[in-house]
Amino acid sequence: MSEHALADLAYASLLISFFLTIYAAGAAFFAARRQRADWFASARNAMFVVAGLTTLAVAILEWALITHQFRFEYVALHTNRAQPLFYSVAALWGGQEGSLLFWEWLLALFTAIVLVQNRDKNRELIPYVIAGLAVAQGFFLALMTLATEPAQSGFIVLTPFTRDPMNALVGNPFRLLDFTPRDGQGLNPLLQNPGMFIHPVTQYLGYVGFTIPFAFAMAALFTRRLSDTWIRTTRRWTLVAWLFLSLGLLFGMQWAYMELGWGGYWGWDPVENASLMPWLTGTAYLHSVMIQERRGMLKVWNLVLVMLTFCLAILGTFITRSGVIESVHAFGVSSLGPWFLVFLGVTLLSFVYLLFNRMNELKEENELDSLLSRESSFLLNNLILVGAAFATLWGTIFPMVSEAFTGKKVTVGAPFFNQVNGPIFFALIILIGICPLIGWRRATPENLLRNFLRPFVVSILVAVALFGLGVREWYGLLAFSAASFVLVTIGMEFYRGVLARMQSEQENPVIALVRLVANNRRRYGGYIVHLGVVLAVIGIAGSTFYQVETQVNLKPGETARLKHYALQYDGLQMYPAENHQVIAARLTVFENGVRVGTLAPEKNFYPSPNPDASQWTTEIAVRTTALEDLYVILAGFDSQANTATLKVIINPLVVWLWIGFATLVAGTVIAALPDPREARVTARARVQEVLAQA
Amino acid sequence: MSSLVTPADQGVAVKTGGKAKFVIGALLILGAIAYVTISSFQTNAIYYLNLQELNAQRGSLINQPVRINAPLDKSSAQFDDKTLTLKFNLKEGNLVLPVVYKGVKPDTFEQGESVVAEGKLGQDGTFYASTILVKCPSKYESEVPK
Repeated sequence: MSEHALADLAYASLLISFFLTIYAAGAAFFAARRQRADWFASARNAMFVVAGLTTLAVAILEWALITHQFRFEYVALHTNRAQPLFYSVAALWGGQEGSLLFWEWLLALFTAIVLVQNRDKNRELIPYVIAGLAVAQGFFLALMTLATEPAQSGFIVLTPFTRDPMNALVGNPFRLLDFTPRDGQGLNPLLQNPGMFIHPVTQYLGYVGFTIPFAFAMAALFTRRLSDTWIRTTRRWTLVAWLFLSLGLLFGMQWAYMELGWGGYWGWDPVENASLMPWLTGTAYLHSVMIQERRGMLKVWNLVLVMLTFCLAILGTFITRSGVIESVHAFGVSSLGPWFLVFLGVTLLSFVYLLFNRMNELKEENELDSLLSRESSFLLNNLILVGAAFATLWGTIFPMVSEAFTGKKVTVGAPFFNQVNGPIFFALIILIGICPLIGWRRATPENLLRNFLRPFVVSILVAVALFGLGVREWYGLLAFSAASFVLVTIGMEFYRGVLARMQSEQENPVIALVRLVANNRRRYGGYIVHLGVVLAVIGIAGSTFYQVETQVNLKPGETARLKHYALQYDGLQMYPAENHQVIAARLTVFENGVRVGTLAPEKNFYPSPNPDASQWTTEIAVRTTALEDLYVILAGFDSQANTATLKVIINPLVVWLWIGFATLVAGTVIAALPDPREARVTARARVQEVLAQA
Repeated sequence: MSSLVTPADQGVAVKTGGKAKFVIGALLILGAIAYVTISSFQTNAIYYLNLQELNAQRGSLINQPVRINAPLDKSSAQFDDKTLTLKFNLKEGNLVLPVVYKGVKPDTFEQGESVVAEGKLGQDGTFYASTILVKCPSKYESEVPK
C-alpha cells in the first residue's frame, strides 16, 4: 500500500472512532435510562471497535516510524535513519500528535479492560462509565481529527480523502508532506536517553489511569449509587494509576538528573509541577477512601478528590502540550490550548452540577468521634496534601492568571516552591510517623504517649548524634530526626506484628514477617510505601541541603579536588558512536588518596542534514555510593590544547531518593495484589447490596 | 491494636462535641497553609518583563531580582569555557541588553531563538543572570529539512 492509502486508512480509523465514541456515549445513556440490554451491548461493542481501530492507527504510525516513511510529516520530524531503533519506537510519544494518539490508545485499551472486568458486575454503573469514558476518548479523537489552527476556526468541511484539509489538522498524526525527504530530523538528542523511553509511558499510564476511577465516580453520581461500590471497584485501578504516576516522577527525575546536567533532579519547572499535583491529590484520595470504606464518611470529599486528580492530570497533559507556560520539558506552542480548557470547563461544570443535585444522598453515615483518632489524622493528611497541591498550582499558573487580569506578568521560581512546600512536607512526614500509632475512632493520650516514647527518644538521639558529627543547620537536623522518628514507628509496627505471629503461630521471624505482610497486604503494603517516602525524603534532604560544587579548568596531569575526592585529568578522548561523535574527558578518581575508579563525562555532537539542527548534548558522569554521588559535568573543552573545564558536584544521599521510590513502588504492588480478606469483604458488600434491593 | 473495626461497631455513632472542633481545626490548618503560600509568594514574586518594560522601569529595578524574556542576538554570544562565563546580547527592536551568565552553557543555546533569564540589572546596564532558559523555535520539534 502507498503512504497515501495508509495515512488515509489511519486517519479514517480515528475519524470513525470519533463518531463511534459519540454513538457509544448516546447509546449507553439511552440503554441506562430505558433499561435496554440491546443498546447497552451495542455501546459496549462500539467501544471494543474503537480500541481495535485506535490500535490499528498506532500500528500504522509505528510501522511508518520504524521503516522510515519520511513522507509522513511526523516521521520526518521525529526520527532519522541514524538513530537507534529504540528511539524510533519511542518517537510515538516524542511529539505532540503522536502523544495525543498514545493517550487515546491507552484510554481505549483501559476502557476495553474495564468492560471485560465488569461483564457480569456493576450493571447499573457500567453504562454511565461507558458514556463518560466515551466522552473523554471523543475529546482526544476530536483533537486529532477535527482541531484546526485558530485562523481556520470552526470545523472545516472534510472532503473525504483529499489531502489539504487533512493537513490543516494540527493534531493529526498522519499529515503527509508533498515530497519525501531523504532523511528525517531525528528525535531531539536531549530525549535520546533510556529515561525518555520509559518516563512518558509511565507518566501517561498514570494520567490516563485516573480517568477510570473518575468515570466510576461520575457514574455513581448519575445513578445515585453513592455507597462505596464505585470505590471498591476502582481501588486497584487507582492504586495502579498512582503507581504509574510515582514511576513517572521517578523516571522524570532520573532523566533530569542524568540528561539535563545541572546537578539536580527537580527544578519546580511547570511540567514537573504538573506531574506532582495529581500525585499529591491522588495520594490524598488513596487515604480518604479508607474512611469511606470503614466508616461511611467523607463521601463528597472523595468525589471531589478524584475529580481534582483527573482534572490535574488533564491540566498536566495540557501544560505539556500547549506551551502556555515556559518549561524545559514542554513541547512547542500549539493551538490546542483552548480545546483543553473547554474540556476541563465542561468536566468541572457537569461534576459540580451533579454533586449539588445529589447532595441529599451524600449524607455521612457516621460522625467523627475524637480529634485524637485515625480518622482525624487522615483528614489532616488530606488537608496537607491538597494544600501542597494548591500552593504548587498557585505558583505554577499565577503568571498566566496575573497577566490575564492585570496585564502585568509576575512570576515565582524555585525559592517560592521550596519555602512553601518545605514546611508542608515536613508536617506530612511527621504525620506519616504519627498516623499508624493512633487508633480508629478514639485514641487515649496514655496509649499515644506509650507509642510515641521510643520513636521520639530515637529521633532526639539521632539529632544529638548528627550535631556531634558536625551537622549544625537546624533544617538538616530537623529533617533527619523526623525521618528517624518515622523509621522507628514503621519498624515498631513490623516488629509488633512479627512478634505476635511468632508467639501465636510458633513461626520463625522470617516466615512470620512474610506471612504478616502476605495476610495484610493493604496495611503492610501501605507501611512499605511510607518507608519508601521516608527514604526518599532522606535523599532529598541530603542533596538539597548539603550539595557542594567546584569548577576547574585542567591540563592533562592536573588534579581537581573537592572534599575527600581528587580527580586526575588524563586528557580528552574522541570517538564516533552510533549516531553521534563523543568527546570524553578521561578522569581517574581518588577518594582519600586511594584510587577508586575512572569517570568520563562527555560532550556529544549530533550532526543533522540541517546544520542549524545539529546539536551538542552534555552527558554527565556519576560515581554513586550509599553516602553520596560524585557528579561530573564536562562544561567545556579545547581539543587543540587538550584541556577540559569540569564542574564537579557532590550530591549527598541521592541514591536514597531512588531506593525510596523503588521501595514505594514495591509497597504499592504489594498493596494492589489480590487480598483474600478484601475479597471476602467485597463479596459480603455485594450480598448486602443484592439483599437491600430484593 | 485497635485498627480492626467490625461491621457491628461501625453503626454506633458516639456524639461528642459535634463538628465544630473539626471545622475550626481544618480552618486553622488551611489558614496556615494559605498564609505560608501568600507570604512566600509576596517575598518571592518577581516581575516578568520584556526589554521595553525593563527599559521603562530601569531606574527602580537596579539590583532587584527580575525575570526577562527577549530575542537572542546569536552573533553576540561568547562563551569562555575556562571561567564558564557566557556573554550574549538580547535584542528587541533597537534595545540591546548585554547579559552575563556564569555557568555551563545550555546544550540548546546554539538553536536558541529567545532567552528567559532571571537575575539582576546592574548599575553598569549589564544584566547579571543567575539562571537562563533557552527557548528554541519549537522545544523538542524542529522544522522539516528541505
